[in-house]
Amino acid sequence: MDNSQEFISEMDDKIGKIIEKPRRLFFDAENENILEVAEHLFKKMGCRLSTATAQETYRGIEVLYHFSEDKTGSYYCPRIVMKDKSNPKMNSISSVVKGAEWIEREMMEMLGITFDGHPHPEPLLTGNHPKEIKTPWRFNTNVQLRGRNNG
Amino acid sequence: MDKNVIPVGPYHPLLEEAEYFTLKVDGETVVDVDLEIGWMHRGHEFISEGKTFTQSIFLVERICGICSTSHPLAFVHAVEDVDNIEIPLRARYVRTLIGELERIHSHLLWLGLAGHFIGYDTLWMWAWKYREPVLQMFEIISGNRNHYGIMRVGGVAKDVNPEKVKPLHDVLDDIEKKTNMIAKAAKDDPVLKSRLKGVGILSKQEAVDYCAVGPTARASGVHIDVRKDEPKDAYDLVEFTEIVTENGDVFDKTVVRLLEIFESIKICRQCLNKLSVSNGSIINKVKEISEGEGIGRYEAPRGEVFHYVRTDGTNRPVRHKVRAPSYVNIPTFKASCKGIPIADALITLAAVDPCYCCTERSLKLVDKNDNSFTLDLLELSREKTEKIRRSI
Repeated sequence: MDNSQEFISEMDDKIGKIIEKPRRLFFDAENENILEVAEHLFKKMGCRLSTATAQETYRGIEVLYHFSEDKTGSYYCPRIVMKDKSNPKMNSISSVVKGAEWIEREMMEMLGITFDGHPHPEPLLTGNHPKEIKTPWRFNTNVQLRGRNNG
Repeated sequence: MDKNVIPVGPYHPLLEEAEYFTLKVDGETVVDVDLEIGWMHRGHEFISEGKTFTQSIFLVERICGICSTSHPLAFVHAVEDVDNIEIPLRARYVRTLIGELERIHSHLLWLGLAGHFIGYDTLWMWAWKYREPVLQMFEIISGNRNHYGIMRVGGVAKDVNPEKVKPLHDVLDDIEKKTNMIAKAAKDDPVLKSRLKGVGILSKQEAVDYCAVGPTARASGVHIDVRKDEPKDAYDLVEFTEIVTENGDVFDKTVVRLLEIFESIKICRQCLNKLSVSNGSIINKVKEISEGEGIGRYEAPRGEVFHYVRTDGTNRPVRHKVRAPSYVNIPTFKASCKGIPIADALITLAAVDPCYCCTERSLKLVDKNDNSFTLDLLELSREKTEKIRRSI
């Protein structure tokens, strides 16, 4: 028995559209609420961050975090959509979940997302790349990457 | 006092997958570690999005040569999760059997390497010798020693012939006997204890903070095992114990892996017993994967392997995310390496099992006066064991 209904009632005003499946809860969250949602999942419910998935969609650039509630085998997945594809920007959850540091750095390089408040916003995969990497790897755009090479 | 820097990698005997560590040392003590990855980025997620679900199984099988069951199993779990696809009972036992055999050979491989790193080459040779029959078991079951090509969405591609069950039981008996011998020898060895106990401690809180998985987390007292937390395949039909210890040091990580070998043998026996008396289909024909999202995971020998797929009703994923256990376990070095002597850094880095090769290479360093000298972490580690051995 998972705690999804309890979570929904407690975070009702912080989350948007919900997709429910057995042991899976995918839901939208606004950028200004993501830290609070992450804190609730990680610290209050004792969830563990498995990883996060970033993707370009029609709605915008999307980041989907995957929090695992190990004691019930359930997943809670907050989804943040950044509509401005030319400057995708959102709050980092690394200050709450240390385990998010690497995956957020990877998403910066892959899709050019800026994570505000990330403690180490330098490139993870291309820090020593022989060529200067200016644009994201998986997003056909002119978004300029932040990092050691590009200031 | 100025801190000195020791670079490890990106191509180093310690690391099969190219990674780059910078040990910051104060005298003999490691005070910080910087980690860098991305030296062999292969774009598996991107390639997978151009392949059908069945083709992707063969692709993800090649992410790791050791975990060549865990990735395909997590992937098919993810695809099956989109439509909550059920699989036949016999297929559940075959999947579990293959997964547990993989755990046995991976843990034996790690045990051998750990022995090699601290100067116990006999342990290395024993462990690898006794790992060989496990690979032969794979060959008997699937025709391949590695990359078994056995997982499918909806079941498995190959059955276990009931005639092969008896010889497979015999091999398991032999492996259990030999592993018992290694475990007893390790337990009674005072040098091994002084070399591994209290070394590279990862506290429970640090393991939780870094979201560590597998034996790395379980050795620090964190109860996390996908086989118990979200039992798929036959894991809810077999009996086994989740091995958890409290100290978080290299010794406990070794103990967890050793004891898990015995649990895996227990699971394999139960699966073989069921396969010898049951019949039935090994695959449910899947005609369609509808539009949606699915999460699949499996407890690989190194910890949770995570796969996420998003589908649009066609025969291939529009997004496929892969997260291997080393991705979350390697950052724990920042906690476990702090304050340890350089000679212990090698075995501490090795203790999370981040994939190794046997190539050996030394480092060339230049000091302030432009004098070059070499430093071999492997040699340093083995010298420390020798010193302890002589002093006892």
